Amino acid sequence: MESATAEPVEPVGGTGGGNGNGEAIRLENVTKRFGEFTAVDAIDLSIPKGEFFSLLGPSGCGKTTTLRMLAGFEVPSEGQILLEGDPVEDVPPYERNVNMVFQSYALFGHLDVTGNVAFGLKRRKVPKDEIERRVAEALELVSLGSRAKSRPSELSGGQRQRVALARALVNRPAVLLLDEPLGALDLKLRRQMQVELKQIQREVGITFVYVTHDQEEALSMSDRIAVMSDGRIAQCGAPEEVYEHPTEEFVAGFIGISNLLEGVVDGPGTVKVGTGMRIAAPLPGDCELGDTVQLSVRPEKIAVDEDIEEGMVSMSGRVASRIYHGVNTQITVDLGEGAHLVALEQQTYTASADDRWEEGMAVRLGWHPENCLVLR
Amino acid sequence: MTGVPPTAVGTGRRFGRRSRTREDAFDRPRFLKLYSGLVYLYLFIPIAVVVLFSFNSVKSLQSFQGFSTQWYSDFLNDPTLRESLFVSLRIAVITMVIATIIGTALAIGLVRARTRWSPAANILMLIPLVTPEIVAGVSALLIFSQLGIQLSFWTIVIAHITFSISYVTVVVRGRLASMGDEVEQAAMDLGATRFQAVRLVLLPELWPAIVAAGLLTFALSFDDFVLSFFTTGEDAQPLPVRIWSAIRFGVSPTINAIGTLMMVVSLTAVVAAVLLPRFFGRKESGIKVLTGQEGG
Repeated sequence: MESATAEPVEPVGGTGGGNGNGEAIRLENVTKRFGEFTAVDAIDLSIPKGEFFSLLGPSGCGKTTTLRMLAGFEVPSEGQILLEGDPVEDVPPYERNVNMVFQSYALFGHLDVTGNVAFGLKRRKVPKDEIERRVAEALELVSLGSRAKSRPSELSGGQRQRVALARALVNRPAVLLLDEPLGALDLKLRRQMQVELKQIQREVGITFVYVTHDQEEALSMSDRIAVMSDGRIAQCGAPEEVYEHPTEEFVAGFIGISNLLEGVVDGPGTVKVGTGMRIAAPLPGDCELGDTVQLSVRPEKIAVDEDIEEGMVSMSGRVASRIYHGVNTQITVDLGEGAHLVALEQQTYTASADDRWEEGMAVRLGWHPENCLVLR
Repeated sequence: MTGVPPTAVGTGRRFGRRSRTREDAFDRPRFLKLYSGLVYLYLFIPIAVVVLFSFNSVKSLQSFQGFSTQWYSDFLNDPTLRESLFVSLRIAVITMVIATIIGTALAIGLVRARTRWSPAANILMLIPLVTPEIVAGVSALLIFSQLGIQLSFWTIVIAHITFSISYVTVVVRGRLASMGDEVEQAAMDLGATRFQAVRLVLLPELWPAIVAAGLLTFALSFDDFVLSFFTTGEDAQPLPVRIWSAIRFGVSPTINAIGTLMMVVSLTAVVAAVLLPRFFGRKESGIKVLTGQEGG
């Protein structure tokens, strides 16, 4: 037990944990076509060692295909994949120093938990006593030490997920690939596993590439996120950056609630929106008069009625719908001319948010101009 | 009774006929036991008669006079019948082994290969199952004589293998399709070559289905008559063909003894299908594969 804590599972060959000592993965102009269909379209990507990196996007955006190219199950039609500096496009999956956690877990039903976890080490002819030690360590890492002799069919979904994780991590791969690993779990267990996965990743220091369509999951776990759409990377950056400063409409809409107002630039720092109102907005320098832009405001940045402060842009409308979420209440306000904005009102220690609005009620919405994003 | 809403749970009985719900009538049909009993009687009476009269002490097929095993010793003391039994067993074992290997390989190919021909290949594979056996028998006979192949023990084996392959493929393919291909990919991801992934993961995962399919073809081959009849040459006849020849010269209670023994052999195959996977420490058994109770 002592040795298990003193010697956590670490990547081989002195690659060590932590950030900043080199590149784990580099994709250069990687393209994958299936017949006429382009699944992945000329993406470039660099992932440093030890990073928790997420590929986020709706289904069909190319995130899983990208992951499968990293694993070796798909060969890119064009471009280069470098794994720790070496090109690997032509290296078969069984010779790559990466391991994958599958969405279906893909556990071997004819082997017990130990047999599953030891599978990779046995293929690599690791000495028997070392296999035993490392399997025990890996099971300890995922808190499954007591189920070593169970069959996968006897385990719960969460436990199977942990076996799949241990089976991959025990090989100390340079990169661990995870394909929506929490997709089959219920919400509560998923939250718990998110925390645990992140903890395990910090402990072992292995680079994680995590595929998900769940924006909340990506935001809470990742060091960096690449938001994908139609086979290309729409934006890549830290969670705060992607959330606070989306560079395009797709990213703003996919992450968080989309709150978009279309307008036309009609003066320095002002935009005339669809309702006919002129409002202040932080226009980028290269905007010209007459340009059509999208203004994006996060719901939580919108103040309602008496919360509106001096210096805010404000407009009035009617409550179109109200959804009570417990911790907050989401109201959709109809501004006329087909424009809608969603605002979130938090429960606070002074007021409960559930009884302040009713459908049809007239309200004013306001926000600080600097909290509004201009997208083109 | 007052205050109890008529829809309350458990009041159906007390309110009698009027509030008896459809579910009640559906869950507890009055004559279920009777119907079921009749169906099972219909299924098992002929078998029971054969087994019973195989132990009859007199040569009557109408009245049971007393217990004896004389028809069994008659059968075992008849060298040609004994020879036929062993011929049938040998044919069944060889058919089982070869058809299981080819059928399993075919199933893997049909499920895993994704070409534009695979839908057609999947349907073609079913044709031997729906071909009337008499057609298969006649065509086998025609082919063998066209090619100048003398009918023998091996022509029977070849004919049996052709129809058995489809059975194996259907059973194994079902299991394979429900597994998905991520299991093999996981094996390859963990350092197994394509061949190792099949040997170390795919075949062990398929094992219950393979065992079930093998024993099914054993049972089918062992008591096959039509194909054997058309493809039997001058070598010793398989048991069903031998029985048919014997019947032409009058029915003897020995037939009952042989029938009972053949049933025991087939039953043994089925029981083995249930038990064998358990010896390998598996939870699922072959019988679950055959009766469709297999989960995910």
